[in-house]
Amino acid sequence: MKTLLMTVGLLALSSAGAVKVGVLLPLSGASSVTGQAARNGYQLALDEINKAGGVLGKPLELAISDDGSSPAKAVPEFVKLVTVDKVDFMAGGVSSATSIAISGPAKQYNTFMAWIGAAAVPVEDAFADDKYFFHYHPWAYYNFDAILSYFRYLKTYKGAKSIAIAYEDGPFGSAGIDATVAAFKKAGFNVVLTEKFKTGSGNFGPLVSKAKAANPDILYWIGYDTDALPLATEVKQQNLKLGLLYGTPPSWPVGFEKNPLADNVAGLSLWLPSSPQAESRKFVAAYKAKYGTVTDEYFAPLAYVNLKTLAAAINRAGSTDKDAVAAELAKTNVPTPFGPLTFSKSNKTQYQGFKAGNWLHFQFQGDARVPVFPIKFAQKPMVYNK
Amino acid sequence: MNLFLQTLLNGLLQSGLYALVASGLALAVGVLGIVNFAHGEYLMIGAFLAWAASTYLGLDPLLALPLVAAAVFAVGALTYRVSIRHVLLAPELNQMLLTFGLGILLQNLALMLLGGNTRTVSTPYQASSLQLGSLSIGGPKAIAFGLAALILGALYTVLYRTSLGRQMRAVAQNRRGAQLIGIHVDRVYLIAFSVSCGLAAVAGVLVSVLLFASPTVGLVFALKAFAIIVMAGLGNLTGVLWASVLLGVAEALVQTYVPGGGGWSDAVFFLMIFGTLVVRSFRGAR
Repeated sequence: MKTLLMTVGLLALSSAGAVKVGVLLPLSGASSVTGQAARNGYQLALDEINKAGGVLGKPLELAISDDGSSPAKAVPEFVKLVTVDKVDFMAGGVSSATSIAISGPAKQYNTFMAWIGAAAVPVEDAFADDKYFFHYHPWAYYNFDAILSYFRYLKTYKGAKSIAIAYEDGPFGSAGIDATVAAFKKAGFNVVLTEKFKTGSGNFGPLVSKAKAANPDILYWIGYDTDALPLATEVKQQNLKLGLLYGTPPSWPVGFEKNPLADNVAGLSLWLPSSPQAESRKFVAAYKAKYGTVTDEYFAPLAYVNLKTLAAAINRAGSTDKDAVAAELAKTNVPTPFGPLTFSKSNKTQYQGFKAGNWLHFQFQGDARVPVFPIKFAQKPMVYNK
Repeated sequence: MNLFLQTLLNGLLQSGLYALVASGLALAVGVLGIVNFAHGEYLMIGAFLAWAASTYLGLDPLLALPLVAAAVFAVGALTYRVSIRHVLLAPELNQMLLTFGLGILLQNLALMLLGGNTRTVSTPYQASSLQLGSLSIGGPKAIAFGLAALILGALYTVLYRTSLGRQMRAVAQNRRGAQLIGIHVDRVYLIAFSVSCGLAAVAGVLVSVLLFASPTVGLVFALKAFAIIVMAGLGNLTGVLWASVLLGVAEALVQTYVPGGGGWSDAVFFLMIFGTLVVRSFRGAR
């Protein structure tokens, strides 16, 4: 009994003062594939950090909460992490809608946030000039720059001239849609259709009929994983002839690559397991050792990089003082699975990590995601059908 | 003209799926007098069972359909025995609260056991279609439409041409009177509720082929099924097919011809409920 009490006492003492990081992720709901991938990345990073001595001489602690992909659930979860669990730093964040919702409490509690997702510009507006907001994921306009550069290539080398846009009517799909259309037009494309849809409804019949009437070279859709198969099915059923069906969901449905309907569907990713960087190969090996499998979801390595760089900054700062940690995190310059990570100003925020140049374009070919653009990273030629 | 015809066709094909979901709900409402807010969750169970049969047993979802329907029939029977039968004489609000809670419970159980991932099946006929000139008739949606017509026809035959159907109609009209003439009311309720759940599962199998399986997939269809049974008249099976066609075609027309119509499509069924209730109340006032 005595030994047990002493052990409990020692454990309690050893964890006293340990650095605690709150992680808010969509482990259920529309963005759960992304959230679960990110959780795996955080846990892998946590293992490595603690194996290497932890943070400030103690094991790092994570408090992971599920925001249910819902702003209404994200706010109380965020407040609980900050006020009840008393975390020192917040990490995570996938959806733009939930990130906007927590921007109020984040300011109220002056929270330090190392944020991996939330690409929509309204999030950037909400955290403009925040001295404790570090954004790792590229903002939507960086994503769009990458898409535009790919489509320009298709225009020059494949003769793509016209684009139909299908976008979900929430903040993820709708924010900045007018600017998107304007930018395509400015780049010399004919935008023949711009059509909203309800994500998850699966009713793409009328949308595809309209697209067929407009006869675009590229169908560009901005939605969630639930929309991928119904849209691809409808395109095939209505025999809509496209050069390319291109989508930008945060994640793709589980097993989508094995469905023949996925063939030649293209998309955007910050990372693929086949990415050639040494850090990427190390991550893949570590991930495989821990989970016995490899993930295609880039939010896994993104979360991994997020926690590793935050822990390194805390160690360099020598304390959990937010200003000291912010100053150290701002100096980050490390190789990652996505290429080097440094922070610089974006349009509105002070600390932006990855930008347009980090994106890869892939195509589902033969049960796998194959990088096809930028051409220097292409592992197979892209299939353009028109 | 071609776009208009394709739009009508899209709406008509979509209505088959709606009718499949609504037929089970109409049966439960018609016979038990209960609006089952968990109906979409039985559809979700059907979709997941079809996905599991396809993924783990290599069974085509359509071939697994009878097995899935039977399994969810059994789940429905269990639900009836454990919960529904105890509130049949309770106020309507209590009945609604029970089925609403049941829906939340089933959805969250699915989330806990299976996670929130979207799961898809792959079948050789998933993208099949019949081309009539430049018009396309999607294979799985045509199957859903055919199944809906078949099931509604079979339900109609059972209700109006069999002893069980007569018992169901008698129970629906007057529970106490039916009891007095020796009908085993509890057994009739059990069968009606279980068949209703089995029909939701049939719709779920089609949903797994056409769309995906996920813990929340039933909600959209359950809402539309409510709109359909309100339009058809509570418990009116013959009206379900027409109300489904009306909803499907109205949605397709809005999606195609109203600017930004894709974002408005979910409002269509609310408008239809609203319109139906207004018209009915106007008729009632006269």
